[in-house]
Amino acid sequence: MSVEFSKNSLSKVAEIISHYPAGKQKSALLPLLHLAQEEFGGWLDVPVMDYVATLLQIEPIEVYEVASFYSMYNLQPVGKYMFEVCQTGPCMLNGSENIIEYIKEKLNIGVGETTPDGMFTLKTVECLGACGYAPMMQLGKHYREHLTKEKVDAIIEECRAKAN
Amino acid sequence: MGRKLLLDKAHVENIRTYDVYRREGGYRSVEKALKSMSPDAIVEEVKKSGLRGRGGAGFPTGMKWTFIAKPEGVPRHLVVNADESEPGTFKDRYLMEFIPHLLIEGMIVSSFALGSNVSYIYIRGEYAWIVDILEQAIAEAKQNGFLGKNILGTGFDCEIYVQRGAGAYICGEETALIESLEGKRGNPRIKPPFPAIKGAWERPTVVNNVETIAAVVPIINEGGDEYAKIGIGKSTGTKLISACGNINKPGVYEIDMTISVEEFIFSDDWCGGIKNGKRLKACIPGGSSVPILPANLLLTTAKGEKRLMNYESLSDGGFATGSMMGSGGFIVLDEDQCVVRNTYSLARFYRHESCGQCSPCREGTGWMEKILWKIETGNGKISDIDLLWDIQRKIEGNTICPLGDAAAWPVAAAIRHFRDEFEWHVLNADECLNKNYGLAHYADPIAVPQTV
Ligand SMILES: Cc1cc2nc3c(=O)[nH]c(=O)nc-3n(C[C@H](O)[C@H](O)[C@H](O)COP(=O)(O)O)c2cc1C
Ligand code: SF4
Ligand code: FES
Repeated sequence: MSVEFSKNSLSKVAEIISHYPAGKQKSALLPLLHLAQEEFGGWLDVPVMDYVATLLQIEPIEVYEVASFYSMYNLQPVGKYMFEVCQTGPCMLNGSENIIEYIKEKLNIGVGETTPDGMFTLKTVECLGACGYAPMMQLGKHYREHLTKEKVDAIIEECRAKAN
Repeated sequence: MGRKLLLDKAHVENIRTYDVYRREGGYRSVEKALKSMSPDAIVEEVKKSGLRGRGGAGFPTGMKWTFIAKPEGVPRHLVVNADESEPGTFKDRYLMEFIPHLLIEGMIVSSFALGSNVSYIYIRGEYAWIVDILEQAIAEAKQNGFLGKNILGTGFDCEIYVQRGAGAYICGEETALIESLEGKRGNPRIKPPFPAIKGAWERPTVVNNVETIAAVVPIINEGGDEYAKIGIGKSTGTKLISACGNINKPGVYEIDMTISVEEFIFSDDWCGGIKNGKRLKACIPGGSSVPILPANLLLTTAKGEKRLMNYESLSDGGFATGSMMGSGGFIVLDEDQCVVRNTYSLARFYRHESCGQCSPCREGTGWMEKILWKIETGNGKISDIDLLWDIQRKIEGNTICPLGDAAAWPVAAAIRHFRDEFEWHVLNADECLNKNYGLAHYADPIAVPQTV
């Protein structure tokens, strides 16, 4: 498979690299992996990581070790919509466990699993800095806060409607 | 309610835009600093202000700035720590989201003071939409001559770039943050050398919290001495507190560090009391890493004085009977909450976030999580409680970075103050699955422990 960024992304790549001292282009690795994940289907396949290594003139292993360290990089395919529900202390005090159970039941999947139609992935995450608005989850670029069962229902509907 | 220095204007309509921010007096500190002050004079004002780092450790900012090395011909950098991942903490997010120009303004002045021509904001990857807000603010500041080349005709050049992390609490630790900024795994470095000598790309680097850098704006506008008049003792100025847990009004509050903990929790000006009419059981007052305190020790110190919301008072009594201000993440537990379960949840967090470089932290956090789960689910033994105590003792102080301590302290404090609740779980294995131990610590204040 041949992997290549769009023209638009390639100009972003050049811009990002220019933020760091000359010869330190490896510093652009985290931003480039974010960009790659967005552009190539929500996860980082090996050819994608190799491509990023080429762009930055570093060894592929340098990319793999970083991609596997940070929790936001997906090394396996994920659903179109990923529910990342916070389970840490402050969210737990406000009922995150019930929300996670409810989503499991509603989507009929376990934590870390994707629905057979490839629509939804459920993931638990640790504190996302929204503890005062608990329980919460991340959905794409934004947070969904003060979750209730009704809100979860509405979010699922919203995703389904968007996908159609 | 006390004075607000940071969030005063946060809810003026459209304050996110340069025009409104400027109209409300924004960027005055840049004009003053760049046109009429030397870098050393700025550092001097910050020293006089008594400002302490708002990221958690509370180290005096002015003093930290004097440590930066100035080798000839080597660029220096300011890096703002916007990683904000300590459970209970969401104040930097609030500041950046509502009044982004305040951070940019503080960064320009601080960059000038430190001699940084390229400064960075390292922001946790999940705050993706805030990156857009910050980049917009940076672009506007640049259009208006406050960033870029020859700022306000003073000859000072400065660029600010935002870099997103990618989900790793450890990248809030300053040397891990620098590694991450360099495109590596977030493994903390062994110190020395300190970042002020060799930081990002081996260049002298100062890492400061978002709130710390924002506080430089009122310090320069009003003068360090005026700033130091607010607050008490070595807790000068204002502090952002992010309050959460079982309270009526969770949110971000700016306090002047003279109010009591009791007032903060129960007054309608602040948290508005405990949710659902319940009683206060315990509180973790400064982010998940600091010791949990039972209600009685939270509201009054062991000496019987009212505890105040500031650095000295929150740590009064040391770890035996006190806690810490930390990052200002204020987590309140009501009478129905289970300390064992809460401690388990935090232990899981630290196990997940350990970078794995040091065996005591890597192995110890995993052990603590497993044992706490056993106790919480009614499969624990009394000896497990002692084992937990032993493990946390062996982690503390034996690791490269303070995450090890941060993982050990919550467990130690939970056992220190709520040992009977752990024992109750062991002795009531069936009951503990659906019921928590309950109220005892509030109803019957426990005796103050003699030793740590
Ligand atoms: C595990 C760990 C996580 C940390 N996370 C943060 C953080 O998210 N934000 C922050 O400002 N400081 C954090 N710190 C503290 C930083 O290492 C550093 O002391 C701080 O950014 C210095 O800024 P200040 O002096 O302005 O507080 C963390 C420290 C440790 C050990
Ligand atoms: S204490 Fe833990 S997080 Fe810190 S360097 Fe050691 S293993 Fe990594
Ligand atoms: S604990 Fe869930 S957002 Fe902080």
